[in-house]
Amino acid sequence: MPYEHIKEVKDQARITPIEIFPDPKTAIVILNQHSGKPLAPLVAVDDSVAIGQKIADSKERISSPVHSPISGKIVKIGNIYNHCLETFTEAIYIENDGKKTKDNTLSPISESELQKTKPADLLNIIHEAGIIGLGGAGFPTHIKLAPPAEFPIKNLVVNATEGEPYDTADERLLIEKTANLLRGVNVIKKILGNPKVTIATKVSKAEAIPKLNEVFGNEPDTTVVAGHFKYQQGDASVLQKALFGYETPPTKRSYEMGCIVQNVATINAIANAVFEGEPLISRVVAFNGEIAQPKNLLVKIGTPISDIFSQNNIDMNDVRQVVVGGVMMGHAIPTTEAPVTKRSSSIIPFSESNYKKEQKQTACIHCSKCISACPVKLHPILIYDAIMKPDMEKVEKLWNKDCIGCGTCSYVCPSRIPLASTIMASR
Amino acid sequence: MTNQSSVEKPKDLVVSPPPQINGTMSKTRVMTYTFAALMIITIITAVIWWPVMTPTADQMNTFAEAGITGFIAMPLGAILLVNALIAVGVAVLSDFAIGKAAADSEVNTMSAAVFGLIVTLCYSLGLPGMARAVEVMPLHVLSAPGCFIFIALTSFIGLVGFKKLQGMTGRKYLNPAAAAKFIVLLPFLFSTFLIKEHWAPYADGGLSMPQLAGVVDKEMFGMYLQGCYGNPGIMNHPSAESLMLLTKFHGWPGGASSVAVIIVGVALILLLRNYFKWKITATYFGSVAIMSLIMTGIYGGDPMTRLIFELFIGSSIFLGFFMATDPATTPYTRTGQIIFGVGLGVLTVLIQVYMNFFGGALLALLIMNLTVPFLDRIGIHKPFGR
Repeated sequence: MPYEHIKEVKDQARITPIEIFPDPKTAIVILNQHSGKPLAPLVAVDDSVAIGQKIADSKERISSPVHSPISGKIVKIGNIYNHCLETFTEAIYIENDGKKTKDNTLSPISESELQKTKPADLLNIIHEAGIIGLGGAGFPTHIKLAPPAEFPIKNLVVNATEGEPYDTADERLLIEKTANLLRGVNVIKKILGNPKVTIATKVSKAEAIPKLNEVFGNEPDTTVVAGHFKYQQGDASVLQKALFGYETPPTKRSYEMGCIVQNVATINAIANAVFEGEPLISRVVAFNGEIAQPKNLLVKIGTPISDIFSQNNIDMNDVRQVVVGGVMMGHAIPTTEAPVTKRSSSIIPFSESNYKKEQKQTACIHCSKCISACPVKLHPILIYDAIMKPDMEKVEKLWNKDCIGCGTCSYVCPSRIPLASTIMASR
Repeated sequence: MTNQSSVEKPKDLVVSPPPQINGTMSKTRVMTYTFAALMIITIITAVIWWPVMTPTADQMNTFAEAGITGFIAMPLGAILLVNALIAVGVAVLSDFAIGKAAADSEVNTMSAAVFGLIVTLCYSLGLPGMARAVEVMPLHVLSAPGCFIFIALTSFIGLVGFKKLQGMTGRKYLNPAAAAKFIVLLPFLFSTFLIKEHWAPYADGGLSMPQLAGVVDKEMFGMYLQGCYGNPGIMNHPSAESLMLLTKFHGWPGGASSVAVIIVGVALILLLRNYFKWKITATYFGSVAIMSLIMTGIYGGDPMTRLIFELFIGSSIFLGFFMATDPATTPYTRTGQIIFGVGLGVLTVLIQVYMNFFGGALLALLIMNLTVPFLDRIGIHKPFGR
């Protein structure tokens, strides 16, 4: 099945090394960055916190704690725009005291200890480190890596395709943190009982491929697949089809097919947590889009997005739209006061002149392009028509819940009908 | 929050649902490409038809002897260009007027212009060589100046009635150009669609199509075509094949040169890819070819003669590329499109064989258009993994 080609805008960003972005004066840590149960703060206003100190958690299983990215004082607990949920949610405001005092609750292990460590202990570290799926889904990783015992995992897929057309954070990690990724993969292998490892990347990541071959090439049961993957094949189930040929039924999870797909940034975070004792308090963010110098920034989670603009000397009068988390599946944020979250893989500003040309929605011309372009073989325009009617029975009969939200249908629509977002909203 | 950032905070960032980028193909672009393709075909036909004068001096004399006046002698190519100007003008102006008058109607100039050209290119023109054997009056429809009035009427009725009013129902059932041509020219069916008279000189009461390849062999068919297209200066076309493939001199202007239509059509498909319903084109021609071979099997004769006739008759070649693929009146799904194309091909051949209806593709298209809502239902495929 041919997948729609989506033009990548990465030439500059992909060759720009990761740069450490300075700590914010005030960090705003959103509580609910994961998908799962909400967290409650563990700290109160005026409390002092250290770097890496857990500041919010939940007793619910499907949840993941958050940590303070800086040392300082809690100045406020209030609402801020959360791009993960597209609404204002609770956040903890921390004023930086510049002392960089560290919290050492998370005890790391050495690489030689890995094989002796129990999977449960490793999962505990991953849990306590607040690691969630950094590819965008935000599902707690310690849950994902603990599938029910009746489903043995045969395959671990490292999803290094990074198809989002402006995102380059994973690609830079592949180039600069290759050895750390191997450490992370070894942790996951230990947890899952030594599955085969497939590292799936794109031929376009020219600098990363030799590094991956060098580091992973001699590992047992490990294959590096550099394919002509399209954007849509970055989806876990669509990628599994490309690699192994099977189609995962939408009613089943990947682990039921004996496969776990992990994103590059997540694996990097796992290695940092297990071997360095560093909880997830920073991530690489691609700063790409209509800016003079695209960058890859290692940013503390909680850094206001406005800081990134101001420190890069960008005049906000030229910016009409700021997209966080990829132009295909990410969200346009209403305010740059919003902070970077664990799921902010990229920050992409667009200017007035270039922002979404020909945006006016017009009547469908029935070209049926959305149907031929859908990677999961849905009928986007028919679902859309049924939603608009509304005929929810028909909407379900057309399997609206199977939509993976990749946005390809909206992307190809010559009439600019918001197919993907409407279908996703109907789920 | 730093002070700096609050100073620089923009007043209003644009929030829109994902994805935040779009592909390069827009409705206007699809329509512009299609318009360009149709324009190329119009110009090629105008050039091919320029040497042909209608009516011929010979015919003018006949009309004068019969006391019939009102015909003007014009190059056929010029008539086509005037027709195109009228049809596109009427369509674009009507579209604009409706857009201004009705608030909920969007002005879509490019789409109206494409419609105007399709009306032009499926509007039969030209005096067949057998004109003398045919009633004279209806020929006004086929030639200047009568055709100018009728094409304006077709364009207007098609745009208002079948494009706009039909569009208001939420779904266009009938191909607007085909439906308008059918309605407007229904009174002149015998001169525009049913051309049994073509065959009058060869058999009493005309030959019907089942015998096409039986009684008429390729040589005779070629002779017939030459006589049919019998205009001064073009009698040097040697064979039936070259007439059907390269240059025809009356009928659908869109199909005057089958080779030109194929080249332009394929180029447009390559340009638009899946924005063009090429599966219909492919299955249509495939089924026409198979059907004509079946007809040869039943009625005998030379298979090539029937094949080139059924495939390359002006209505067939033009409709297969540019009308049967009209997105609004054809199925959404792949299966639907395949069934649609096959059905269209089968019906076209049946109509041309058993109804003597040259240009039967037009009627076949209108019939198949009505099956689209049904085809859309049965064409639904299961999604990934189900």
